[in-house]
Amino acid sequence: MTAAAAALETVVRGEWGRLTSLLLAQFRRLDLVEDALGDAVEAAARRWPDDGVPDNPAAWLLITARRRVVDRLRAESMAQRKVPLLVTDAERREEGARTMADPGDLVEDDLLRLVLMCTHPALATESACALALRLVLGVSTHDIGRLFLVTEPTMAARLTRAKKKVVTAGIPFAVPAPDDLPERLETVAQTAYLAFTAGYAPGSGPDLLRAELAGEAIRLVRVVLALRPGEPALVALLALMLLQHSRRDARVGSDGRLVLLDDQDRGRWRRDEIDEGLLLLSEPALAGPVSPVAAAYVVQARIAAEHATAANPDETRWDRIVDHYDLLLELTPSPSARLARAVAVAQADGPQAGLAALAGIEIAGSHRVDAVRAELLVRAGRTAEARTAYDAAIAVCRNDAERAHLVERRDQSGP
Amino acid sequence: MKRYVLLLAYEPGGWDAASEEVRQQFFDAHHAFEEYVAARGRRLASGALADADTATTVRHTGGVATVTDGPYVETVELVGGYYDVELPDLDSAIEAAQLLPPSYAVEIRPTVTIEGYEHA
Repeated sequence: MTAAAAALETVVRGEWGRLTSLLLAQFRRLDLVEDALGDAVEAAARRWPDDGVPDNPAAWLLITARRRVVDRLRAESMAQRKVPLLVTDAERREEGARTMADPGDLVEDDLLRLVLMCTHPALATESACALALRLVLGVSTHDIGRLFLVTEPTMAARLTRAKKKVVTAGIPFAVPAPDDLPERLETVAQTAYLAFTAGYAPGSGPDLLRAELAGEAIRLVRVVLALRPGEPALVALLALMLLQHSRRDARVGSDGRLVLLDDQDRGRWRRDEIDEGLLLLSEPALAGPVSPVAAAYVVQARIAAEHATAANPDETRWDRIVDHYDLLLELTPSPSARLARAVAVAQADGPQAGLAALAGIEIAGSHRVDAVRAELLVRAGRTAEARTAYDAAIAVCRNDAERAHLVERRDQSGP
Repeated sequence: MKRYVLLLAYEPGGWDAASEEVRQQFFDAHHAFEEYVAARGRRLASGALADADTATTVRHTGGVATVTDGPYVETVELVGGYYDVELPDLDSAIEAAQLLPPSYAVEIRPTVTIEGYEHA
């Protein structure tokens, strides 16, 4: 890569969201801003290798993109088109000046406005994810599609629909009242976590991991955390993500297949990320009482930390993990958390206890409950029942790699 | 300012049986909504709709206008009223909608300007 290309990549990666938000604050045209910025990046790719990298690359992109927007606006005014504008809080304050509460210590930051607009609860969470990755981080539509296992045109259509909803419905480019801000930041966290887990969700094909893209969700949390330092839900979520993400290199074997936690080479876990995750968990922001959303992230991060700090699988403190799951189930009961708890119970107290903990858990359309049951039956020496459970799991498993793994386990489990 | 129509859906049949006290709660909720709208924008129109069993639907099938008894879709929740309001943004529309009686489901629909159309 040439110096010019590297400089361009750095500024696009680091400044995309801020540039987008500045352009939106000025022009309030969600439909034009993204294209204009894209054009400016293309122009930079053409010109910087010959002209040299400008002293302030971000300012160069901003000025160039502004010119594009102004050109388009001129063409529109010739055609006398009227296009709806984004609603901003500057306008809201002006119009509602009689009644609006004093904005107080609101953070006047366009980037935060952009993040909150993209993750507005009136948008479907998957649309919000896509919009935030695209507008705040500049992730390509192709890559966002890959993350969510849809084609690029499908993702492009989803982004267009989301942008249309923002403008038409009047989702504001604004920071809400201080009372409402923590809840909105929790929505930001939930959006980012969905994007993260999408990166680890097995697809229907051989593309087992899209962990690199899950890393973009971590970047999103870092961007917001830089704007709102110490926000408990974001601190806890970042810890959780880092501790899970630290294992990505060890999750895939040399043959491209999924490696389970017990079999992973712990030397390939990212120590720096584990250390950062553990440090975040001890931050003062998480010391006091926190909201249920933040608390659920804390507990899940502590579970990940138990694994991350065990030198080998045998030293894992499964008793403590069971306790963490008990707390998690109090905060946010879900079948998948109950399943994970049952696995932990089996590790702590043996397969019979695990099978008892498994009773009554149902996850529609998923092979996981049957797969766990089969595994525990094998360990309990009940091979005939195990085969039946494997067959049930294989029948509903839609991921090629995971199904192959289940078939192999069934055939190893004995006659 | 954005213009929104709020469609108020509810499960019909409750009003006739409602006590004075319950009715007053509904009135209070609507007053709170209307005061919120007046403070931040304005109310252009509103109406409570008679039950859906009094509805008449007109549609064209095969080039012929047909008239049928009843609403155009049969659902459990029925639109029982509407507000046509101007408010600064969706956040304020959501905040206003939350003031309405909790038994309602409120659908917030932005209105659009159809380019090239002028009222007769």
